[in-house]
Amino acid sequence: MKYLSALIILFAVSTSFAQTYTISGTLKDSTNGEDMFGGSVIVKELSNTGATVNSYGFYSLTLEKGNYTLMYRSAGYETKEIKINLVEDMSFDVELALPKDVQEMEDVVVTGEKENENITSSGMNVTKFDPKDIETIPVIFGEKDIMKTLQLTPGVKTAGEGNSGFFVRGGGADQNLVLLDEAVVYNASHLLGFFSVFNSDAVKDVALYKSGIPAEYGGRASSVMDVKMKDGNSKNFGVSGGIGLISSRLAVEGPIVKDKGSFILSGRRSYLDLFLKLSKDENIRNTKLYFYDMNMKANYKISKKDRIFLSGYFGRDNFGFGDQFGFDWGNATGTIRYNRIITDKLFSNTSVIFSNYDYRFTIGTGEDAFGVNSSIQDWNVKQDFSWFANSNNTLKFGVNGMHHTFKPGALTGGNESFNEFILDSRYGIEFGAYVQNEQKLGPRINIMYGLRYSGFDLVGSDKYEFDDDGDVTSVDTTLGRWESLSFHHGLEPRFSMSYVISENNSIKLGYNRNLQYLHQLSNSTTSSPTDVWVPSSNNIKPQIGDQIALGYYQNLKKNTYRISTEIYYKALQNQIDYRNGADLVLNDQVEGELVFGKGRAYGLELLLEKKKGKFTGWISYTLSRSLRQFDDINDGNEFSARQDRIHDISVVLMYKITKNLALAGTFIYYTGDAVTFPSGKYEVNGNVIPLFTERNGYRMPDYHRADIGLTWYLKDKKRFEHNLNFSIYNLYSRENAYTISFEENASGDIEALQTALFKMVPSITYNFKIK
Amino acid sequence: MKYLAIILLGLITFASCQKSIDIDLNEANPVVVIEANFTAEDSTVRVLITETSNFFSGDEEPTIDDAVVTITNQAGVSQQVPFVSEGLYTLENYIPEFNSTYTMTVFANGVTYTATCDMLPVIDQQGIIFDSIPPGPFSGDGGYVVAVTYQDPPEEGNFTSTHLVRNGKELKKLNDIVLNDDQLTNGNLVIRPLFVKFFDLGDTVEIELRTINEKIHDYYVELSSLTDPNSAAPANPDYLWENRALGFFNAYPSSRQSVVIQ
Repeated sequence: MKYLSALIILFAVSTSFAQTYTISGTLKDSTNGEDMFGGSVIVKELSNTGATVNSYGFYSLTLEKGNYTLMYRSAGYETKEIKINLVEDMSFDVELALPKDVQEMEDVVVTGEKENENITSSGMNVTKFDPKDIETIPVIFGEKDIMKTLQLTPGVKTAGEGNSGFFVRGGGADQNLVLLDEAVVYNASHLLGFFSVFNSDAVKDVALYKSGIPAEYGGRASSVMDVKMKDGNSKNFGVSGGIGLISSRLAVEGPIVKDKGSFILSGRRSYLDLFLKLSKDENIRNTKLYFYDMNMKANYKISKKDRIFLSGYFGRDNFGFGDQFGFDWGNATGTIRYNRIITDKLFSNTSVIFSNYDYRFTIGTGEDAFGVNSSIQDWNVKQDFSWFANSNNTLKFGVNGMHHTFKPGALTGGNESFNEFILDSRYGIEFGAYVQNEQKLGPRINIMYGLRYSGFDLVGSDKYEFDDDGDVTSVDTTLGRWESLSFHHGLEPRFSMSYVISENNSIKLGYNRNLQYLHQLSNSTTSSPTDVWVPSSNNIKPQIGDQIALGYYQNLKKNTYRISTEIYYKALQNQIDYRNGADLVLNDQVEGELVFGKGRAYGLELLLEKKKGKFTGWISYTLSRSLRQFDDINDGNEFSARQDRIHDISVVLMYKITKNLALAGTFIYYTGDAVTFPSGKYEVNGNVIPLFTERNGYRMPDYHRADIGLTWYLKDKKRFEHNLNFSIYNLYSRENAYTISFEENASGDIEALQTALFKMVPSITYNFKIK
Repeated sequence: MKYLAIILLGLITFASCQKSIDIDLNEANPVVVIEANFTAEDSTVRVLITETSNFFSGDEEPTIDDAVVTITNQAGVSQQVPFVSEGLYTLENYIPEFNSTYTMTVFANGVTYTATCDMLPVIDQQGIIFDSIPPGPFSGDGGYVVAVTYQDPPEEGNFTSTHLVRNGKELKKLNDIVLNDDQLTNGNLVIRPLFVKFFDLGDTVEIELRTINEKIHDYYVELSSLTDPNSAAPANPDYLWENRALGFFNAYPSSRQSVVIQ
């Protein structure tokens, strides 16, 4: 209540009563008609007056009667100025052009381009990428991957060599909310993490919130990664695609009705298994190993004020050997969205969202065959409003309700010595309601404050009680389908503020609390398709993340260089770890295998970016710690989390040699992750057993690697563009430790064995686009 | 999962490589290790008491030869287990009582360590089945696999371990021991192929089936998870000895069957 009244007071104070008119509309990319999320409109005559586009491309700005020059801008686009005489409410759909066309005519400086959004925006800085900005950055197997590029930015750490899994600011891998067109993606990787599920051909934009998370997002304790699919070109038909070493892609897009609706359909399939067929070894020939994914999206403008979107994703990994063994897993999501401009100040979005993740095993053939399957499925209904109240206040508020079905696993079939074993499904209802205001307090101070209330009701499941050793003491199986087993809820305040010192530098402060009701269980170092999601219950409390962050931002040389410095402190409650030898698969008493504790993480992040010119790129450095404390682990002493990587440096350089040649290189150096090694040994029944004295008390060797890529833009025809991309991953063949194991060698001594995954990996990809 | 990871990594790795590296490990203070077995089959108690040693030292573990070891039955009658040699203490002709709890006490290095274990009734084997397995990704060059068969008792919560003897030689490696719980097989005739080892034509294979306590089952599960390099957080198994000695006290009956593969 305290927060709510503060909010009302702040808002009331800033409301003015002069005669005003509203300018509203959407911001679009002129080449393909796609909505733009990252843009803003600023009034040239009034410093610090403007509006930011909401996450559906809509803006609204209310001003007093008069003559103004409106400047529409978005990072990476040419700024557009429109002069208006404001005597009535107006509506503009503005299209911005890429400055690339201009720059190619020998580096003409684009006038009016004042890209200091990073300085003046109220929120803590969000890491944003447009796939086309990073297309030249070399990646393993030449497979463009937005998640791997995010790992090159401060505060984001890779989960392992070549892995698309990530940790944000010391949080766990399951503490990142990964959204694809508003749908939760539960397992964002293919092939045990080497590829992300995001096909870069279908992705329009990705934003990663590390702190100051807006109140519209909830459900994970550490970060939000919001991926938006392309809407499809609403002006022309086009086909684009690529042929790579590991996979090929194809996308088709075009208008449904010109400038009224469009669609995009894109697909990708890996074909490693086709090479396996060439093997002389029958075993390898019979092995099946591939993944595919499909993205589709369509939108249609019913009227000037109503628009409907349909989007979906379906992806699957398949692994098998002959007919003896099969294993497949994947995500499916679907979103129906209805946007309505209710008034020129009030924008509404209604979404119905479906999300599913499942895996299946089949082993054996004929009568003896048995299978295991497990899934998590969501239905989510969501209503959001953006209210552009006046030029100083933009409110967002909304509600959502989600129904989860957890099927932790079932074993079926098999010969008569096995009983069928089906773990009971669990059901949960998760909801959230939020209100947030982005407010300008004078020319220098912007604040954003919001409050989210969320809750989670576990219903209709068997209720287990455990003693301190994790043994079951009672089971209540009498609960009805909609009867509550446990209910958790809480308030999540969000706040951020910026103080603009000058147009070249600013200070920002952010605080957020996030509650997390679903938890992913995994006790192995590699991400596995069988990592199961479990709901909060009478035994598992929701994870709570509190974070405070402070940043200083400076732009140099007319916004050519950007420097950002951020420090943060994060406190985590109700963290999960596992008892010794925990069995997480097909276990109806899995909650008894868990132990609970707390964590904290803190760090310093530095980023130097060069945004303009032939030579662009960034250098990122993170100094951080991430610690955990559990009464049942390490004798209750605080220990390093596995992702406690102290120093982490990434350098990304992109150089446009000529109009047709672009060179890019990356260099990564980080100090070793925390790891548990033995400090002694003993024998049991003649077997050497390692003796451990402390959790994560050792460090893996330091990691470093350089990659290089060359993109050659082949001669463009009028309606045809194509390029060839050559890249070398791990240029100097550094053998970085992936695992270290201790084994007895031939002479009976124990030695430490380091396994490195990839030495030098060259690849080539051909990309094309028919317009 | 472990196999899947290995195969996937193997297939997509162009140049994965292994090498021996130097790692500087701390030296932990020595901890007492007590391996105590009471085998009903030969009515003998065997206790081996050692200490932990430096991880990379190739030496045998130091033994403790001056400990006082006693075993106590459910009625409270204690008997000393006398020292034999090199850390080994043995008591013969100690007749087991089934369905009763035994307590073992070891006084070593000034500390008293205590553990209990139930001697459960034997579960008889119903014969050995063997079959040939063709070469494949999970079976290497292939060979013969044996299966243990037994009738699982009707009540839930029976645990067994199977131990293989090939041509008179016991396979002692942790990976060769197969543990069974009856979560999926309660009350059934269990036919459990032991995929841990492939045998050749002419081999004589003996299977020892032990009826063990749940805590011994869990102890072995924890031990074997220590050898998995993908484990995110290896830790010592839960202590079965009060006052934190490593090792275990296992009182068990066995049933044995053998077969010649031909």
